Amino acid sequence: MDLKKLTRLAMLTAFALIIFTIELQLPALAPIPGMKLGLANIVTVYAVYSFNAGETASLVIIRVLLGSLIAGNLMAMAYSLGGAMLCLLGMLFLRKVIDKKHIWVCSVLGAVLHNVGQTIVAIVLMQTKTVIFYLPFLLVSGCVAGALTGMAAQLVVNRLNK
Amino acid sequence: MIRSQKFWAAVCAVIFAGSLIWCIVLLTMKPGDTVTITQDGKTLYTIDLSKEPDRTIEITYEGRKNIIEIKGGRVHILEADCPDKVCVNTGWLTAGIPIVCLPNKLVIEYADNDTGLDAVAG
Repeated sequence: MDLKKLTRLAMLTAFALIIFTIELQLPALAPIPGMKLGLANIVTVYAVYSFNAGETASLVIIRVLLGSLIAGNLMAMAYSLGGAMLCLLGMLFLRKVIDKKHIWVCSVLGAVLHNVGQTIVAIVLMQTKTVIFYLPFLLVSGCVAGALTGMAAQLVVNRLNK
Repeated sequence: MIRSQKFWAAVCAVIFAGSLIWCIVLLTMKPGDTVTITQDGKTLYTIDLSKEPDRTIEITYEGRKNIIEIKGGRVHILEADCPDKVCVNTGWLTAGIPIVCLPNKLVIEYADNDTGLDAVAG
């Protein structure tokens, strides 16, 4: 990995963490655990369409680990990590079939996978399938938030990667 | 087919519409009387709300506590010492949506309605 790329990845990670920290200050939209805008995922979606799989994965993993430390909620780390990994795998596949004009579609499906991932982790950790009742609410908000962050990422990708 | 952009946009639309319908089903469900309080996969209390007098239950988990209040045939979490207070903000228990405290692995739910999932899956 050359120095320029390393610097770009480090800056993007820092940028994602800043967005994440600012978003922490916003009040919760609804009393559903795990429901949030996920603005930091603008950076994730941008990275998926700009870097290779390993580079994107390292960015996302470092962002989630440091983000959980900043938030001071290590319990949430497992949920975020489970969601982020499934989301990342899905989007790395989808970028091969979804072109740069439809990045928002990839982002919506990534958000859906993120919600499914965090629900699976919650079911495993809490040993109850009850939390699946939250999934439809997470999915509705995830589709909307995913479309918005995806459109933002699409603008960034189309302007920065000319 | 998987190369078609329209196909993936349609998948998004189907997921969105499906989860919206699922939400509506959950929100319009009628509650029964029996409520279970479960922690870490084990059922701590099974309560018949139609007979239960008003009271509070304190549940501790690894030094952290949740205080559950039963009042007038309804149940909610009155107090929690976690930082995010998701369980408290969930409010009174409704048929479709359980009260969950993720850090303390606590779940409060109506026992006699698993129809929400079946209606969607079936």
